[in-house]
Amino acid sequence: MKIGLEVHVALPTRSKLFCSCSTEAAEPNSSICPICMGFPGSKPMLNRGAVEAAMGIANALHCPINRGISFVRKVYFYPDLPKSYQITQMEGAVGSNGYLAIGEKRIRIRRVQIEEDPAQIIRDGALTLIDFNRSGTPLVEIVTEPDISSEEEMRSFISSLRSMLYYLGVDINKEIKADVNISMAETRVEVKNVTGIKNMIETLRFEIERQTELIRAGEEIARETRGYNEKSKSTQTLREKESDEEYGYVFEPDLTVFDIAELKFNEPVYANDVAVGLANGTDVSPRTVSEIIMLDRDSLRQIERLRGRHSLRSIIHGIERYKKYGRAGRVADKVLDNIVLLIEEGKEVPKEAIVDLESGKEARVEYSQLSDEQLDELINKYLEENPALVREYVKQPKTINLIIENIARGNGLHPKEVARKLMPILAKVAEGK
Amino acid sequence: MTSYIEEFNGIEKPKDYYDDLFVQLEKLNDEYHAFNVINKDADCGFLFGTKANICVKGFETDAGSKMLKGYAPSFNATAVERMLSDKRFAFAGVTGMDEFGFGTFGTNTEVPARNAFDKEYAAGGSSSGAAVAAALMKYHVSIAESTGGSIATPAALNGVVGFTPTYGSVSRYGLIDYANSLDKIGVMARSSEDARIVFDRIRGRDEYDTTCAVEKITSERRKKIFVINGMLEKADASIKTSFEKLLNRLGNAYEIEHVDSSMMEMAIAPYYIIAMAEASTNLAKYTGYKYGLMAEDFYKQYNEFFTDVRENFGMEAKRRILLGTFIRSASVKDKYYTKALVIRSMLIREMDRMLKEGYILSPTLPIKAPRIADVRKLSPVESYSMDLFTIPPNLGGFPHISFPYDYVDGMPLGAQLVTGHGNDYAILDFVKSWEEGFEYRYKTNLGEL
Ligand SMILES: [Zn+2]
Repeated sequence: MKIGLEVHVALPTRSKLFCSCSTEAAEPNSSICPICMGFPGSKPMLNRGAVEAAMGIANALHCPINRGISFVRKVYFYPDLPKSYQITQMEGAVGSNGYLAIGEKRIRIRRVQIEEDPAQIIRDGALTLIDFNRSGTPLVEIVTEPDISSEEEMRSFISSLRSMLYYLGVDINKEIKADVNISMAETRVEVKNVTGIKNMIETLRFEIERQTELIRAGEEIARETRGYNEKSKSTQTLREKESDEEYGYVFEPDLTVFDIAELKFNEPVYANDVAVGLANGTDVSPRTVSEIIMLDRDSLRQIERLRGRHSLRSIIHGIERYKKYGRAGRVADKVLDNIVLLIEEGKEVPKEAIVDLESGKEARVEYSQLSDEQLDELINKYLEENPALVREYVKQPKTINLIIENIARGNGLHPKEVARKLMPILAKVAEGK
Repeated sequence: MTSYIEEFNGIEKPKDYYDDLFVQLEKLNDEYHAFNVINKDADCGFLFGTKANICVKGFETDAGSKMLKGYAPSFNATAVERMLSDKRFAFAGVTGMDEFGFGTFGTNTEVPARNAFDKEYAAGGSSSGAAVAAALMKYHVSIAESTGGSIATPAALNGVVGFTPTYGSVSRYGLIDYANSLDKIGVMARSSEDARIVFDRIRGRDEYDTTCAVEKITSERRKKIFVINGMLEKADASIKTSFEKLLNRLGNAYEIEHVDSSMMEMAIAPYYIIAMAEASTNLAKYTGYKYGLMAEDFYKQYNEFFTDVRENFGMEAKRRILLGTFIRSASVKDKYYTKALVIRSMLIREMDRMLKEGYILSPTLPIKAPRIADVRKLSPVESYSMDLFTIPPNLGGFPHISFPYDYVDGMPLGAQLVTGHGNDYAILDFVKSWEEGFEYRYKTNLGEL
């Protein structure tokens, strides 16, 4: 089985691909101008930011970066296309001949191209309404070779791709659109415009079943374009396969060859590889790490920040609890530090504790209870064993915090409790020095 | 020869100058159809008209097409914006043209302009109204546009200067596209000096047109003039005779060299292939529901709707849409379009080499001005072949200027001088010194002071 994908995602720019209209408008037809309306006389003006974002993606997909890029016109008539042609890319695409690794396997990337999104058609009874706000929004299309050979591979490809895109700033909450090409036998069947990952998987499942059935029955599989129906979870014939013949591509003469040698783009993060590196030498599996960091740069940052001081297992446990109980959308370093500390002390960290920490209060957790005598003994013993820290304290009174932390952590004690007893003792010891 | 712009702005005008002028102009325009729209509000400054494919905010800019009837743009073309922001100039109106620029004689539109020397004769195209306006009025310049000769041809037929600058030196923002890689905004005027003043006003970089990147313009004089043998042969005998006289006169100051150029001789085919391929994509946007002509019946299937509304294109436009669409289709693209692009770059190389050494001079047209009735008898291919001389510099994006050099049977003849990319001032200088020994003739001098 051969599966190829043509994945479309919106590039993260504030303005449109060929004009300065905003990409974030609510009121229909409020973010439009002569350029994105295709008015006679208007010309496209290429958005550098979109090119840079697409270059970052092409680079992450291991495409050799071309020096110059160019555009073509793809001509077809549909009410959502104001110029009756879409400006897209072919030979002069931002990237080509790359790959994305899924485990040991490489899925080859044929092309990474920039193109403009058409307007949005809204059906309202017998009326067809057009909202041009979307017209000219920058998209990147990633075309793979038919190297994917199972549902499992398609899942890991999409998940790696999504993670890579996420780390390059692509908003993954905006839906991914894809054309899915599936050939069980010789004939290629294309399912157009499948929206969302769930539907992509459903499309594949349906087509595998449908084509297998046809093969079993000795029937021929038609070379055609199909559409996916979300309600019936099935695909239907849209039209006979149209060829490039009808699009009549020509070079877009208004943009010429755009030199991209000077443009800057971000370096990629491959979460799976990063996870392997982080998990190396720990008792945590790379898979666990990758699940956490795949679509969460904040968690990756926290792991990297705390890695030298705490065990990976505690950090991940802390992040999970924080994400589960904390206020959504923000991770405060200090709160997480405390959560991880508590975990390392062997404490369970309940929801209340996290709520406390987030509001700057002390966490409600259980501490060992010692008598004053036991506590004094413990402190004195620690100070005897660590004369260097005491000397350090004399020079640098701030060192007291470290001493408190160490004693509290090592014995499951409340830091305040330790501090109360430690201060007079330390003062006396210091005086003697 | 002086500048009419400077002369005009130096003279005190009578109080009712503009009112009187517009009354007379309207009368004259009923005969010659130079203008589609006259801006009677103009009351200060030297008048300039714009070809009907150059957007002027609030004025009908129909590109000579029924498909754009009533289309009044919401923005000014960059060239127009630059003219309007200069107090020396005032907007006179919109001049007529062949539909979308498709024509050599100005007849491919509903109401064709008439030749300023004789109404029975073709005005030339596609910037027909622009040339006629310049020839009718003493104090007027026309902002026009050339794709394959649309400035030089009508300028020659109406006895005015037609200057087409280097591709990319004047912004095309606001120009209604014919073939984007060929379209150039230029100037038609009664003197080379006025063409230069307007050129300097409108040229230079513009962030709204990526292809507008030529900033530096030079005036490197050449001592040699090339004449292309194989092309001159194709001109009518009477044209050849007059042109030989011109060469004789220039022989004192320049070394005249007759050469062959296979690339220039075969330029018509690649030109029409590229122009039609691009044009057919540019015309795709006219679908009768956003601007210009509005469809009456919207309750149709999309395909049926588009097909019906696009019936309103003229014959020549339909021909170019069909041919252009065919040329672009995948199975023949390499045979025509891709090959045409290759020939185009070969042509540029060949001409570049020659133009480093000298100018290229030719008649602007291979024939005298034809009668309108005779133009209508020409087959499309015969009509396309009239662009023989104007196509090579247009296809290569080279600056060229058509200037009147003789009058035969009361009709003007134009010669076309070509130079290298960015050397635009050199050919303006050339015509300026030519003008010193040449007397322009006009039938009317509307607005004379
Ligand atoms: Zn816009």
